[in-house]
Amino acid sequence: MAYPYKHPSETLVLAKYFGDPEARTLAGWEARGGYRALRKALGSQRKEIIDEVKASGLRGRGGAGFPTGVKWSFMPMASGKQHYLLCNADESEPGTFKDRELMRWTPHALIEGCLIGAYAIQASHAYIYIRGEFFEPAQILARAIEEATAGGYLGKDLFGSGFDFEIILHRGSGAYICGEETSLMNSFEGLRATPRLKPPFPAQAGVYGLPTTINNVETLCAVPHILNNGAEWYRQWGTEKSPGTKIFCVSGHVQKPGNYEVPLGFNFREFIYDICGGPLPGRTIKAVIPGGSSVPILRGDELDIGMDYEAMAAAGTMLGCGSVIVMDDTTDIVKQVRRMVDFYAHESCGQCTPCREGTAWGAKILRRIEGGWGTEADLETLLEISDNMAGKTICVLSDACAAPITSSIEKFREDYLALIRRGESLARARTA
Amino acid sequence: MSTDETKVRPLHPEGAPRNPGFAGITGEFDLTEAQIRGTEYVGRRPVDGGHASVAGTLPYQIADRNPDAPLFEGPYAERLEKILTRYPDRQAALLPALHMAQEIRGYLSPQSMDEVAARLELPPAYVRGVATFYTMYNLQPLGKYLIQVCTNISCNLCGADAVLDAFLEHTGNDMGEVSSDGRFTVIEAECLGACGFPTVVQINERFFENVGTQDVPSILEMLK
Ligand SMILES: Cc1cc2nc3c(=O)[nH]c(=O)nc-3n(C[C@H](O)[C@H](O)[C@H](O)COP(=O)(O)O)c2cc1C
Ligand code: SF4
Ligand code: FES
Repeated sequence: MAYPYKHPSETLVLAKYFGDPEARTLAGWEARGGYRALRKALGSQRKEIIDEVKASGLRGRGGAGFPTGVKWSFMPMASGKQHYLLCNADESEPGTFKDRELMRWTPHALIEGCLIGAYAIQASHAYIYIRGEFFEPAQILARAIEEATAGGYLGKDLFGSGFDFEIILHRGSGAYICGEETSLMNSFEGLRATPRLKPPFPAQAGVYGLPTTINNVETLCAVPHILNNGAEWYRQWGTEKSPGTKIFCVSGHVQKPGNYEVPLGFNFREFIYDICGGPLPGRTIKAVIPGGSSVPILRGDELDIGMDYEAMAAAGTMLGCGSVIVMDDTTDIVKQVRRMVDFYAHESCGQCTPCREGTAWGAKILRRIEGGWGTEADLETLLEISDNMAGKTICVLSDACAAPITSSIEKFREDYLALIRRGESLARARTA
Repeated sequence: MSTDETKVRPLHPEGAPRNPGFAGITGEFDLTEAQIRGTEYVGRRPVDGGHASVAGTLPYQIADRNPDAPLFEGPYAERLEKILTRYPDRQAALLPALHMAQEIRGYLSPQSMDEVAARLELPPAYVRGVATFYTMYNLQPLGKYLIQVCTNISCNLCGADAVLDAFLEHTGNDMGEVSSDGRFTVIEAECLGACGFPTVVQINERFFENVGTQDVPSILEMLK
């Protein structure tokens, strides 16, 4: 069952054992087919594994949707250097809570994914960068790592393959920006978490300037399934360009919030109204954010689209990390946008002027509008600030902040104007 | 500070089961119901030399912290050594070392930061630069229980502001202050990564899910 609710229309691959405490133990995981893919991988050539993952079309689940096999193939084949695999478990995009459940219920799936990924890219170390607030998932993972080590899945010369491997948990310390991959590398090295300019890309020069691959938890968890069953099997779901299944995290104003796993390309309306139970009784859906707070907002009447990377892009938004935030007709859009922009202002690392200033001023102006002191010119200022923020900075946090501002002004201008007019009439009444 | 009950949306429709959260399934991995829902919230687990593969330190805050406790001595020194073996260089151990200093003393004083700097052979100013960047490092003493209420969008949509107000009201605190009995510090948090179970509240190391204003008194009651 997916967690905490289940629905017959789900396709459970990754979320199959959510809620099953047996699956957390090594014995339980082995009984459920765990670590078979690892044995298979260790008996194959590295290139074979990368080709299989490439053929499956698996795309990174951390937000950008970059094909995983292609990413792995960027790693140098025989560099003679130390290679690193970093697993991105920093999950802090507002609306996202899938990696947490994956780590809580199926820690061995992540360990197996890390092992296979590391073998494919010739890394002997994987560091799992887990956000500091996740004590409990970290503890569960730590226990699983201990068990896997005792069971012979981690350590030296695994199954006589000559492959040594170690997984180390690294707890973050509370900063959203650590999720950005170059910032994660800096944070890992013990620096402030400031993103690096790309290029060079991590595969050329990552942590300590050595070849590094960064993958999301969900991405790595999908890898063992692909190796076990083959690329064709994985492609039975989803669309040509977005194959497979994905866990979507649903929060906000729906009857049954939670994690649901469906094939990519699933109808978004059906997903929200059927699987998630739709809006609360007597309410209607006003707006939906389909991929976490960093992507443009959709109106409630724009939901007849597929839940895949291409269809979302065609609808002017992004699939992101699949974090669906639903807002019903009682929602104060301006307040919620202000809350998101507050978040980005708080989390901006401060390296780039458009981001550092834009997020802070955006939040101030939105607060003014929210308080009834705004003017129509403020909306133009907000759009101008957003335009200055998008595509002009080291990382895309700045773009992420601009997305809710511009999309909400475009789609819910009336909400802004209503607040502005009410404020103006109050002001007239005061001075009259 | 008042709470407006009408602001709170019902967390789940009538009759629907409440998401049980972690407490729904216990018995695995040494977390008992008492530890999860009871008085064991705050790490009172013995310092055991650190977990074999956790580079950071668990738990994060201790109930019986002592601002004058020696840093990195005895079992803590062993733990630091263990942490150092897991990284390619000393600097990479900075985040876990700061976590540990905070665990020992409850917060990061300038002296603790200097000591971390000395241990890791880093400039003290550099260590402060890093410590001030991350939100989980507390540079001031806190109450015994640090209550972090997520007010980010998903929780906010479901009444997080009212839950925050309720915590402030029931503890008699201002945001970020230590309550007069030294027990509580209430702050607002950014998304805690459990958004489907609003309102999410983190108290020291534990997450409380589905917290409504009506739950606040009983939660505070548990935190003796
Ligand atoms: C501001 C920002 C925050 C991010 N946060 C996360 C995160 O919390 N978790 C994550 O997996 N990826 C996050 N990403 C995406 C990563 O940079 C990276 O693309 C991803 O981890 C790569 O893994 P994948 O190819 O498996 O998706 C973030 C990106 C940005 C720009
Ligand atoms: S865009 Fe913002 S968060 Fe990203 S590097 Fe620049 S200042 Fe930092
Ligand atoms: S928004 Fe509250 S936990 Fe994510």
